[in-house]
Amino acid sequence: MTTLNVKHVARIEGHGDITIDVKDGEVKDIRMDIVEPARFFEAMVKGRTYEEAPLITSRICGICSANHAMTSILATEDAFGVEVGTKTKKMRQLLVYGSYLQNHATHLYVLASPDYLGLPSVFPLAETAPDVVSRALGLKRLGNELCTLVGGRPVHPTMAVVGGFTSEPSRDELLRFADRLEAAVRDAAATVELFGDFEIPRFETEGDLISLIDPSTYAIVGGEIHSLDHGWTKPVSEYRSIFEEKVVGHSNSKHVVVDGGTFMASALSRVNNSWDHLLPSARVVASKVGMRPTNKNPFLNNVCQAIELVDAAERCAMLCREIADDTESVLPVEVKPCEGIGRGATEAPRGTLYHTLEYDKNGRVVAGDVITPTAQNLANLEADMRRFAPTVVAKPREEFIMDVERLVRAYDPCLSCAVH
Amino acid sequence: MAHKKVVFLSLASDFGCQVQVTNFPELLEMLGSIDLSYWQLATSAHMPEDYDVAVIEGAVTTQEHIELLEKVRGIAECVIVVGACACTGGVVGLALNHDLEEAARTVYGKDASKVAWGHIAPRPVDAVIPTDFKVMGCPINPEEFSYILQRAVQGLTDHPHRETLCSECKINENLCFYKQQKVCLGLVTAAGCNSNCVNRGRACTGCRGLAEDANLEAAREFAAKFSLENELLEAIEVYNTARKEA
Repeated sequence: MTTLNVKHVARIEGHGDITIDVKDGEVKDIRMDIVEPARFFEAMVKGRTYEEAPLITSRICGICSANHAMTSILATEDAFGVEVGTKTKKMRQLLVYGSYLQNHATHLYVLASPDYLGLPSVFPLAETAPDVVSRALGLKRLGNELCTLVGGRPVHPTMAVVGGFTSEPSRDELLRFADRLEAAVRDAAATVELFGDFEIPRFETEGDLISLIDPSTYAIVGGEIHSLDHGWTKPVSEYRSIFEEKVVGHSNSKHVVVDGGTFMASALSRVNNSWDHLLPSARVVASKVGMRPTNKNPFLNNVCQAIELVDAAERCAMLCREIADDTESVLPVEVKPCEGIGRGATEAPRGTLYHTLEYDKNGRVVAGDVITPTAQNLANLEADMRRFAPTVVAKPREEFIMDVERLVRAYDPCLSCAVH
Repeated sequence: MAHKKVVFLSLASDFGCQVQVTNFPELLEMLGSIDLSYWQLATSAHMPEDYDVAVIEGAVTTQEHIELLEKVRGIAECVIVVGACACTGGVVGLALNHDLEEAARTVYGKDASKVAWGHIAPRPVDAVIPTDFKVMGCPINPEEFSYILQRAVQGLTDHPHRETLCSECKINENLCFYKQQKVCLGLVTAAGCNSNCVNRGRACTGCRGLAEDANLEAAREFAAKFSLENELLEAIEVYNTARKEA
């Protein structure tokens, strides 16, 4: 028996190792060991005020910080019965989409593309394909600046608080930004074509695809939980009874299953479940590269992220124009803390994120719960690895490992999120 | 002159500071003047045995981290710590307010012992090894990082912002939050962010850590005038619970 070990898999967010046992050319066992150390966020929020809770949970992840802050804000508002206006809701969408532009551009170009270009990193491309690098950096910068415009800075938003926003961009800033977003749709479409051209294995996950859905829009901030395979739709308030968390010995992240089965939370899940709500331009570029529902190839998650870039750029331009002429205030509405439990959910770039915050009558946290998309994905990723690895085990060792790593990166795992 | 070899390491953190570095396109230009030898987030190249500058993100939370830091200190001529977690323990330090075993049970339930892999009380990097440069903030400002990295590769020394944020905030003509009966940590927090949050209507939450020149006694007295003394002290905990006393 030979044990292959990849310590600290590169180009993923956080620390994870892959262990593969091979005997007589057969894959006997394969594991994703999550060695990222726990920081115990669910313990550290205890006793803190409702104003601090989103600030603290935001630090679970520097890539999904907008989502963590936003999800805690939604959970808190659910607990206190706070209602916010439509303009605030639109600003929140912009903030989360800003993180999509940022994350997807980073993941696709910096983390994933070297897999398909046979490079150790994206840096050599600066010499050989400067246009690709400048496109990547342009999209990423746009995401950063959108997060800054509505959130105050690219990572860990400061303007988004329980009840609203502490300030808002001017009409001019919004309109100028809308122009830039529209101009970026072309680059986003080129990203879909680039990833659509990469050769990917013919493979299908056996797990379910789960995401938020919303009858009126492409769900990213709030919505209901939907299962593609089983067709059910359930409210976010029930998430604790839908998902079962399991502690597994080789991972600092818990694994999550639904009715004993594994599933994927991802851009792939969203594009499948909310296909009808993608903007027409995004559906057109998606169809051109052959991505139509139902498609359960996890390697296509990258293409789905690129499709979301097209959708996000165009949608955010529309949102910016809508709120530019909306005079409604987004300053925080009155918040009256009370005893209660609140739940919130958003779609983070890599899948659905759920938070629960329980408060005492003074608005201090009694208990918190966080289920991140990567924690949801890990059991399914391992199931996929077990089925995929035998199909490539005959390749030279380095290529074999590279193929397995490529599957891991297709999931865009975020291990600091997963462990927290 | 040969390019300085730089490695980028991460301990317990949210990777936000590394994300900020990738958010800085000029880094690619800087690559002409440094040799970025190891960066797990961005490249599959392996960690080399020899390097000049180590950039470290994250708080120390395991015995393994301590061993890694001691090894790194023995190799690198210069250690730069980036972000609140590495500089003060940051939000990770808040776990000190709880019993570690209980914290593990809160997260993992009865199976906590299966996964408690040598966790130790969280602490900043300078509680374990001497450091040469600090880039404060949660997250760091990439321009500031670039500036400090350039000083480091040129063999210069650190010159941190000693003054508190109030000095920058006043120049920006912001109204004081205490006048609205709200706690703001600008009173005691290290300057250098150009009061970014306060400029946008949010009181300072102290992510750059306590300033060297902070006068805690005076700050308490000031907050007490608004009956906000306890709130001030509690707010300071978020980023400073694990901070190493100067």
